[in-house]
Amino acid sequence: MRVSKEWLNEWIPVDVSIDELAERITRGGIEVDDVIDYTEGIKNLVVGYVESVEQHPEADRLKICQVNTGEETNQIVCGAPNVKADSYVIVSRVGGRLPGGIKIKRAKLRGEVSEGMICSLEELGIPEDYIPKEYQNGIFMFNEAKNIGTDALSALYLDDQVMDFDLTPNRKDALSMAGAAYETRALFGGEVTRPKSPLTEHEDNGSAAFSIRNEDADAVPYYGARIVRDVEIKPAPTWMQVRLIKAGIRPINNVVDISNYVLLEFGQPLHMFDRDKIGSDEIVTRFAGQDEEMTTLDDKIRKLNDSDIVITNGREPIALAGVMGGDFSEVTESTTTVLIESALFNPVSIRKTSNRLNLRSEASARFEKGVSHEFVLEALDRAAYLLEKYAGGRVTGSVISDGELNLENSRISVTGSFINNRLGMDLSTEEIVGSLSKLGLETEVRGETLNISIPSRRDDLKIREDITEEVARIYGYDALPSSLPEYTSITPGKLTDEQKKVRIIRHQLESLGLTQAINYALTSREKSKQFTERTEGLELLMPMSEDHAVLRNSMIPHLIDNAVYNVNRQQKDVQLYEMGRVFVSRGEGNQPEEIEMLGGVLTGEMNRTEWLGTSVPADFYAAKGIVDSIFEKLGVTDNISYRQSEGFREMHPGRTADIYFGEEKIGFAGEIHPKFAEDNDLNRTAVFEISIDQLLSVKNGIIVYEQLSKYPTITRDIALVVEQSVTADALMNTIRKAAKKYLEDVFVFDVYEGENVADGMKSVAIRLTYLNREQTLTDEEIEAVHSPVLEALEQDGASIR
Amino acid sequence: MDTSGISEIQKTFDKAIESIDDKKSLQDLKVEYLGKKGKVTGLMKEMKNLSNEDKPLYGAKVNEVRSHITEVIEEKEAVLASAALEAQLKEETIDVSLPGRTFKLGSPHPLSRTIEDIEDFFIGLGYEIAEGYEVETDYFNFEALNLPKSHPARDMQDSFYFSEDILLRTHTSPVQARTMQARKGAGPVKIICPGKVYRRDSDDATHSHQFTQIEGLVVDRNIHMSDLKGTLELFAKEMFGAEREIRLRPSYFPFTEPSVEVDISCFKCKGAGCNVCKGSGWIEILGAGMVHPNVLEMAGFDPDEYSGFAFGMGPDRIAMLKYGIEDIRHFYTNDLRFIKQFTATEDGGNQSESI
Repeated sequence: MRVSKEWLNEWIPVDVSIDELAERITRGGIEVDDVIDYTEGIKNLVVGYVESVEQHPEADRLKICQVNTGEETNQIVCGAPNVKADSYVIVSRVGGRLPGGIKIKRAKLRGEVSEGMICSLEELGIPEDYIPKEYQNGIFMFNEAKNIGTDALSALYLDDQVMDFDLTPNRKDALSMAGAAYETRALFGGEVTRPKSPLTEHEDNGSAAFSIRNEDADAVPYYGARIVRDVEIKPAPTWMQVRLIKAGIRPINNVVDISNYVLLEFGQPLHMFDRDKIGSDEIVTRFAGQDEEMTTLDDKIRKLNDSDIVITNGREPIALAGVMGGDFSEVTESTTTVLIESALFNPVSIRKTSNRLNLRSEASARFEKGVSHEFVLEALDRAAYLLEKYAGGRVTGSVISDGELNLENSRISVTGSFINNRLGMDLSTEEIVGSLSKLGLETEVRGETLNISIPSRRDDLKIREDITEEVARIYGYDALPSSLPEYTSITPGKLTDEQKKVRIIRHQLESLGLTQAINYALTSREKSKQFTERTEGLELLMPMSEDHAVLRNSMIPHLIDNAVYNVNRQQKDVQLYEMGRVFVSRGEGNQPEEIEMLGGVLTGEMNRTEWLGTSVPADFYAAKGIVDSIFEKLGVTDNISYRQSEGFREMHPGRTADIYFGEEKIGFAGEIHPKFAEDNDLNRTAVFEISIDQLLSVKNGIIVYEQLSKYPTITRDIALVVEQSVTADALMNTIRKAAKKYLEDVFVFDVYEGENVADGMKSVAIRLTYLNREQTLTDEEIEAVHSPVLEALEQDGASIR
Repeated sequence: MDTSGISEIQKTFDKAIESIDDKKSLQDLKVEYLGKKGKVTGLMKEMKNLSNEDKPLYGAKVNEVRSHITEVIEEKEAVLASAALEAQLKEETIDVSLPGRTFKLGSPHPLSRTIEDIEDFFIGLGYEIAEGYEVETDYFNFEALNLPKSHPARDMQDSFYFSEDILLRTHTSPVQARTMQARKGAGPVKIICPGKVYRRDSDDATHSHQFTQIEGLVVDRNIHMSDLKGTLELFAKEMFGAEREIRLRPSYFPFTEPSVEVDISCFKCKGAGCNVCKGSGWIEILGAGMVHPNVLEMAGFDPDEYSGFAFGMGPDRIAMLKYGIEDIRHFYTNDLRFIKQFTATEDGGNQSESI
């Protein structure tokens, strides 16, 4: 909503600068987004009278005009095609300025002297979209005689500044000059003067009676109309046109302009029908039939549905209520009798219709928020009066209507102590009543209780909290004290175990050299199928793009993208992790399962020290080492196992392991398939992904301390030759099972294939550590536990070297 | 008794030792004089030819020479060893300005650190952190927050729907509704809800279809709007510097009544007006208000008995303001050159003057 200061002053005089006005209104809760100052950059602009126009002898498109600018008559060369003698125009005199830093100088154009410039509206800084068609490609001409030589900005009603209100959805009351005026009154005091409509109702002799019927009060609770005869279609007076322009509406002709003007005055949208084209003597409103069709005034055939409201002539639609008029009933150049509609429509219906058809207008924007009952008839009379005054119309008969307007004020009861308790203030009843009275709300005080009377222009106020807000807003939040809550009981603030562990995991990964990534949860269909066994992702009904059409099934595809992005920007070593969610469908219409995932990608080298030529390769074992360190920190290592797996088709089939927590698969780690890497312009790249919900839910309790052993540990090394396919884990399991006692630790310290080892075989060296915590182990005791280990290994097919 | 041979030997030794400058020659010299066939040993062999009378005298003289030589050699050994050690240390001297062995550090994401800072502030005030679903039901995302299906602020165009009733949450408010419901009408509720949220916006420098949000909720008996102001004032000073002030402006959110926008005095220009605050001296940073009675009631709290406040802010915006980040898409591109800038620890020093 754009509010002109000059127009506002007609409703309520305010004697403050535009900056103060805008600031106070903003602090009051209506954000003034912008102030447009039409005087900015303009100097020496006067009303001129074109006395004569002659063709320029040297240029087809130029004309030589003699223009009276008050004290003198100047010769001005003008290129506008519409310039004509005996017209009042805007002249920028020599020495004048126009927006954009243009200076007007005395000049010679093709040999002819030109002293000044006849201006178009665009040259005054008005956007082309709001300029009436007849002036779009030429200069502006006043519709009426003006005082020659006077300030043209004043004559144009452009000696003015306009505030652009950025209204929150609850402030529909301010979608009109009336609303802006009442808000101004609340902030600055004074009284609001509503425009009068002293129209004359003429007898309706001869013509048939007109009737209105609302078939469904839910669709149209009230429909009122007036008929105005003998209307002459012509341009509206300049002041009305310019006020529309300042509000961002292009003037069309007097009838259309009056309808828009009254909409701006009261926030009540009107529609003007050509009475004679309606095709009957009645208006019947109803919900449209499913698939019913109508042609709107833009000549488009619209297919309707049963939530649209139509205005019909009893047989067929003549308008789509609140959204757009119909083709054959619209006001044209030849219209002489106008039917003015002023009605209430179901707001939800209007919103659905305007959204579906993508037809949003000043009218629909107001109807969908619900218009105030109190302005319906006032606006109707106002439009009829303006037609009488500026279109030569004759108002015939009285208001024709069907339905009820609710003109009773509603009531809200609240106590002062409620308001003070909610705000944390200590306002007296007088202060509260005073704030409300600034808003024009009358309060009846009955002991503790305040009964507040709410006029329909503020029907957005419904509950006592709304009153609390109005009091606070008008009283001013600067007066609100600062305090901290006094709780009914004290509870500690803390992270849950899971939240703590998530932070620990993050910090640990960062210490290990991985940087945290955050990616989009929405991905492409193609990527939703990578690095997962799921073939379907959750698809959006209306995706904005193919890249963000479906929820991710895996963290890896976007991390791969991140690696590629960085590698392409000379970042050859990329190690990233991300914690986030993947989504598993539970069928349409259900919330999916959301799984908290930890994903990582490693490419290039890790811990590279270039000048020493040392680094850790970003391979399977690096990925495994990283996730192992997490398992260790979470104290779950004993339950973790890695099982060789071919993995997903994007993975290297020989270098991938599934990660198990007990018997449950919780993730995988491995190198990506060389082909997939190549397709993405990556070198060797390792990835891992773990579902961390189970890990986080493990409760370790406190650490169990063990006293340090006083006795030495004894180590035994075994060198084995086994088939290449035998895994280290298998050997470990055999050893752990066979060692009945004392085995503290066992690990592989060497693996060798090649010379001195037969083809298809490998040599594995394992170190076992034994400890008796009670006494020093003797050789005999060690033999007793170690020999069965060797036997068990041999039995499994290993030969001991 | 002629002992001139003895003196001669000492003289020769004293001369010889002068030119010794390495361990090997010293060892050879030692053998030459003190070895089994050495010169000093040879002198002792002469003893048998001496009279019994002369023997002790001669022996004493020889021993004198022996201990002199031994002493000198030991001294020399020490000198040589120390020179050798010095030479070794000198040789082992390295260029300490060369890079150390790399133990690379990763960086937290700037959004994570911003969120963590905010979380920690509110934990200090006794809040807990509540998390919830990213894919929500229409009921919890809208209806339970006083946004019925017919509400004008609701638009299919603004949200990502998977079906009529299932969508990506557009704010973290559903977590508030769910948490309140779980508390079964008993306060106090003091929570912070951080998380990812999604809206149908085309990605550009200032819009992202995915971003983060932190909302806070306090519900108890006798919670006042002044408590909201006090809490946020403390927050602004803690996060943006002790001199910050806040300003409340009336606004509108369906789930709060009264609703306010909260501005903080600009931390760059201290309120004088600059490009960060667009000349106003104030930066809009939060939306807040008193929990709407409908929201309390739907979540099982009696609005006559309980009241509460709620606030919401965008870590993306806060991080952009705090660090002067010019494009929100940086947060989701994961360019190492961007994230790596957020490795170092931050503390209370000079915290808001960086931009």
